[in-house]
Amino acid sequence: MYGLVAFGLSLIFGVLRIINFAHGAVMMLAMYATYWLFTLLKVDPYVSIVLTGPAFFLLGMLIQRVVIEPNRFAAEHNQLLLTLGLALFLENLALVLWQGDFRTVRPPYAGASFVLGEALVEVPRLVACGGAIVMAVVLFAFLKATDVGKAIRALAEEPEGAMLMGINVARIRAVAYGIGAGAVAVAGALVTPFFYVAPDVGESFNIMAFVVVVLGGMGNFVGALLGGFIVGLAESLGATLLPGSLKQLVVFALFILVLLFRPAGLFGGGRGR
Amino acid sequence: MSLLEIDSVTKRFGGLTAVSRFSLGVGAGEIVGLIGPNGAGKTTVFHLLSGFHAPTEGAIRFKGVSVIGAKPHEICRRGLARTFQIVQPFVNLTALENVMVGAFNRTDDVAAARKRALEVLEFVGLGARRDALARELTLPDRKRLEMARGLATQPELLLLDEVMSGLNPTEIEAIIGLIRRIHTQGVSLLIIEHVMRAIMALSQRIVVLHHGEKIAEGAPAEVARDAKVVEAYLGEES
Amino acid sequence: MAAEALGGLALGVLLVAPPFLPPYFLEILISVMLFGYLGAAWNILGGYAGQFSFGHAAYFGIGAYTSTLLFLRLGVTPWLGMLAGGALAALFGLFAGYLSFRYGLRGPYFSLVTLAFAEMLRVVAVNTKAVGSSIGLVIPSREAAPVNFIFAGKLPYYYVILAMALGAVWITRLVARSKLGYSLLAIRENEDAAEAAGVDALGMKLRAMALSSFLTALGGSFYAQYFAYIDPTITFGPSVSIQGLLQAIVGGAGTVLGPLIGAFVLTPVSELSRAAIRGRAGVDVMLYGLALILVISFLPQGIMGWARKGRGHPARVPLIRRRR
Repeated sequence: MYGLVAFGLSLIFGVLRIINFAHGAVMMLAMYATYWLFTLLKVDPYVSIVLTGPAFFLLGMLIQRVVIEPNRFAAEHNQLLLTLGLALFLENLALVLWQGDFRTVRPPYAGASFVLGEALVEVPRLVACGGAIVMAVVLFAFLKATDVGKAIRALAEEPEGAMLMGINVARIRAVAYGIGAGAVAVAGALVTPFFYVAPDVGESFNIMAFVVVVLGGMGNFVGALLGGFIVGLAESLGATLLPGSLKQLVVFALFILVLLFRPAGLFGGGRGR
Repeated sequence: MSLLEIDSVTKRFGGLTAVSRFSLGVGAGEIVGLIGPNGAGKTTVFHLLSGFHAPTEGAIRFKGVSVIGAKPHEICRRGLARTFQIVQPFVNLTALENVMVGAFNRTDDVAAARKRALEVLEFVGLGARRDALARELTLPDRKRLEMARGLATQPELLLLDEVMSGLNPTEIEAIIGLIRRIHTQGVSLLIIEHVMRAIMALSQRIVVLHHGEKIAEGAPAEVARDAKVVEAYLGEES
Repeated sequence: MAAEALGGLALGVLLVAPPFLPPYFLEILISVMLFGYLGAAWNILGGYAGQFSFGHAAYFGIGAYTSTLLFLRLGVTPWLGMLAGGALAALFGLFAGYLSFRYGLRGPYFSLVTLAFAEMLRVVAVNTKAVGSSIGLVIPSREAAPVNFIFAGKLPYYYVILAMALGAVWITRLVARSKLGYSLLAIRENEDAAEAAGVDALGMKLRAMALSSFLTALGGSFYAQYFAYIDPTITFGPSVSIQGLLQAIVGGAGTVLGPLIGAFVLTPVSELSRAAIRGRAGVDVMLYGLALILVISFLPQGIMGWARKGRGHPARVPLIRRRR
């Protein structure tokens, strides 16, 4: 699950070279969208992906064009602040519009589960996991096979060369951000059946996504997916060892250690320092 | 005792050997030139000398003391300063402030640093531009600024990395004059340069590097005639 | 000089006017001073050394909890507890800083690590009964006890934070004009070149970190005494970190007065917005986000930088760097 969110983040970083703080906020918005579609129009969350995915792809492109692109040449830390500002704006916009209460999306199958051996498997989580894997495969194929995908990879690896090859850099950058947004929107929709919806939801996913991306290597797309697994595992491990929310400590500790000793990520290919 | 002793130094980056068994001595008061085709490893040698990289093998001694493992600012403190191939000024600081940073190497007092910086700026010919932001300076002026910043640290040995690149003939003449003036102040110099005219005119001794190895060393005229050197440069833009 | 006269006038007003202000305005003024103070503390590391910490809440929280715990459990007056908190925060800052700088973390990576550290402290606090977990700590007595940093009215608190804010500005000025200041600026501009010119980057950055974290912690203690209630989210949460850096960025990072100016601009905006759209939490932060976006896009040097440029002064510390 974390992998999918992180994938988008990694993509955005790889192509745009910025760390997108607003990622979690976009996911949060997508979750709200899913919520409203479900509550008002009775659209099943999984079905709504067909709507929200592309919609947020476009939204992402819009954000990129309007907010980020004009500031392309700003110093790195400034761009970071820019996305931070965006995140603050979006999160609190949600707070203002919809207030801070938790909401839930409870489609009929929300509580469904079955027993597998010794473990209790919840259907929604399983679907989310499966959906994430499917998305991952689709995105991976997209990057490998299609022209746009190749253009994105080219831009990530060799910005100047890509420009010389006649690739419309500005458009690709917008597309990359859009894909990132779309991916995170899908993740958001997949998660709604078993996660609450609230303005601050984005934040927790945000931090986890950063950890995953660093772990997998900034800009290393596959690494992001693998990193997602590792983080999920680490968190579960932490949950068994430590009480309460302390399990997050395990993840943070891992994060700090990786940043210190292998900033290029466990799987390399990242930008490092 | 030589000021600088590079003793059979090798530097490998993964599978790439940038510098191989390189030895060189620089005595106090000398001007030594370091030349070679692009990619020969010259700037790597500077990185090794100034503490930005550590050699894989070999020893480097400055004033008799090993510099291996020392941080760049420590080496600077000991009296070895350098410039960068691509100028690296502090763009949002004024020329004066840029040079003051170097001057602080020898003093903690702001007024003293300021005074020293002003002297150095005058010396390199930037006195009039002292309050200009570094980003507003022309390329030749930035080169002067970089040299000034290095000089402000009161070095005994100054490493100059292609200070002439990008300059027109008039500017080159001016910098040659400046380097000579620096030398008369008692600073020893190790200069990397591609502008042959300049390095021939300035150096007392020239060392030639090719694929990380020293292939020739001697007086400028000898080196210019050396068959190996000529061959190394053929086919490369110099 | 017009600027000096204006400054003197402003100072005069700040000193003399408050007793005559209605309580609401006094509260706002106190907030302004507190945020300006935090901004100034952050500015030393962020604006001057160029190391953007997103986790300064760590030090704020350490300060708040240390002085409060010392007071509640051991009866130590917060005036002293503050200093203990500051020292502890400085130690933590040195620890975190050393780890980060020693391993060459720069730019966004550094920011992320600081965020992680702050979050870790928050999680620890939430899960530690001894410090009150999520319930937090309350400072019970509201009777005036100046010796214990408890005042009856708001006015004394105002003067305390005014003194702190002015102190922070003055310290910033001292630093800016010292060898440390020049070194930090050099590091911010180009760390490698600075090293080659003899600047001990690690040592200087650590100095800035220690100073910045110490000051931030004092702010945390003030907060605890003024609001009489702290909990992990308030103290270690990202909002504190963001508040600090926001004032500095908007007002002008790397300038002496920037953070204070930033606070004077931002706080009224947030107050007004909260009053205008009553009952909806989050409007003010939303505007902060917008402000951040706008400032970075159009006024990257902050207000001070822009003001300087207008007067023909070379802009001191623009944050924009053209990629060549």
